[in-house]
Amino acid sequence: MNSRSGSKLNFLLLSFFLFFLVTTHLSFVHVLADSHFEGFDAEEEDGVEEETLDPNLLRSPPVTQSQSSIPLDPKSEISSDPDFKEDLNLDTPSKPESDVPKQTATSFEYWDEDEFEGLPVEYPPVEEVPKVAENATPNDPDPETAKKPEKIAASKKSFTVEIVCGSFLIAFIINYFTGKRENENLALSWAAQFATKDSIFEKNFSFLGVGDADDSPLLLKEGQNVFKFYASGRRYCQGLLATMELKSRHDLISRLFNLVVPCRDEISFEVYMNDDAMDQVIFALAKKKLAKGMQKEMNDLQRFASLITPPSVRKWVAEELSVISESKEVAGDLITEAVLEQVFGEKAFEKYGKDFISMHFSDQHPGTHKKMLLFKFALPDVNHMADMTRLVALVPYYIDLVGRYKLSSQARSKTDAARLKAAQEAYKELQSARQEALQKKKAERKKMLDESEAKLSAEAIRKKESKERARQLKKAMPKVKMTRAN
Amino acid sequence: MSHNGGNSTSANDPRQPSAAKPFVSQPVSPQDLPVDYSGFIAVVFGVAGVLFRYKLSSWLAIIFCAQSLANMRNLENDLKQISMAMMFAIMGLVTNYLGPARPGKQS
Repeated sequence: MNSRSGSKLNFLLLSFFLFFLVTTHLSFVHVLADSHFEGFDAEEEDGVEEETLDPNLLRSPPVTQSQSSIPLDPKSEISSDPDFKEDLNLDTPSKPESDVPKQTATSFEYWDEDEFEGLPVEYPPVEEVPKVAENATPNDPDPETAKKPEKIAASKKSFTVEIVCGSFLIAFIINYFTGKRENENLALSWAAQFATKDSIFEKNFSFLGVGDADDSPLLLKEGQNVFKFYASGRRYCQGLLATMELKSRHDLISRLFNLVVPCRDEISFEVYMNDDAMDQVIFALAKKKLAKGMQKEMNDLQRFASLITPPSVRKWVAEELSVISESKEVAGDLITEAVLEQVFGEKAFEKYGKDFISMHFSDQHPGTHKKMLLFKFALPDVNHMADMTRLVALVPYYIDLVGRYKLSSQARSKTDAARLKAAQEAYKELQSARQEALQKKKAERKKMLDESEAKLSAEAIRKKESKERARQLKKAMPKVKMTRAN
Repeated sequence: MSHNGGNSTSANDPRQPSAAKPFVSQPVSPQDLPVDYSGFIAVVFGVAGVLFRYKLSSWLAIIFCAQSLANMRNLENDLKQISMAMMFAIMGLVTNYLGPARPGKQS
């Protein structure tokens, strides 16, 4: 009996101790105020299982027992019943319970030493717990309303991506149509200035346009920013192709990019010279930096020509320009007085030369057609198309000049030698390429044969081998001639 | 310089109608074409949008598809890649908006 009562006492001790911990967790503030033990029940029925710590069991503790048996009674300043009940109605009942086993060991010691003083360890959880306890009643609506503004804010935030991207797309579409129209207007204004009736190309070429018939369209639109113009029917040349590469005004992203990286509207002329019209001329003219680049990049300039230093004897092109040529003589012959006066001289270049980019004549042009004249100019804007009249006039002028030009004997000897070498090299390359192709074909054929041999079955291989052997033997045997007796 | 082309009198007329050759547009082989960067980027963004369920990526894919369409030169060659990029982008948008919610984020 004694043991039984002793164990029961221990039981009660433990349960009261747990209650004490729970309440100090839940309502340290209230603890100071209330100090009655009415709402305190002993766990007679169940064991001390934290998980099954029912509020029912805790609702009605026997007052007498708590007072008498347990020294921690005065300490167990448990809050009044309603608070207690509410505290345990929290959404997270597991929290105080989970804290309880942790705190049992430590707080037991604390409790031994400091009888009536608060436990510093438990302060933080206790502090937040009363706050939670305060929110106990408006618990249900609060998290919802707390979450709702978050949701609205979040959903509001999430629409920015759609709005930004959608508006960019709309702006892109609008810009496509306006940019397209702008480019078309620019091309048409150029054509109106230089390719329609009584214009320079009309006077120089008998056939204008990109179609077949008489009234073919003048311009060919290859992309929203690429336009082509073709003219044919003139002496010395087979035809002229002008390609206008305009800024990508139709593409919003390119337009933004071009705000950072500058870009120009360009027009480039390609004149296909007749074989008998052009002598061995390699010549280029461009602004200094561009000329250096050209000389390094282009095959024909690199191989045959070099930068020419301006001669002191005669008038020369403006300072910003530099000449690439095979010899000074040829360069001098191509840069005539008229040209210097009109476009490339010092004074003239300031006024008229701002749209000039480069000029390149070559009879060894890499590509399908060998003898070509290339001109590259920048396009002025729509309303100032006449500014480039002088530059465009260079084109027919040089067609005639180069068409009529004949090299002197010394110049010819130099150029002849260089070209001969180049022709030989080209021929050698062609030969080696042809040989390579032949070798490849042979190797392929051999591979095919090997494969077909391997495919043969073992029988066939044996048969073949025996045949081979028989043949060898026959060859090895001395040839005995036999004739008939009579 | 201007006198060469100015006269329409026979002496100085540079025109030779007999020598006129009609225009032949040179066919460009598919290898020579400049690389379609915007189409490629559109495919990359589209795939990323589908794989990672990232909305912004799908929208950017649509935008770059639009740029690729705008810069299309000839219909036959370029349309295949552009249509592939468009499919990826639209698929990305559909999975992002109509598919199951992305874990941890509000779709």
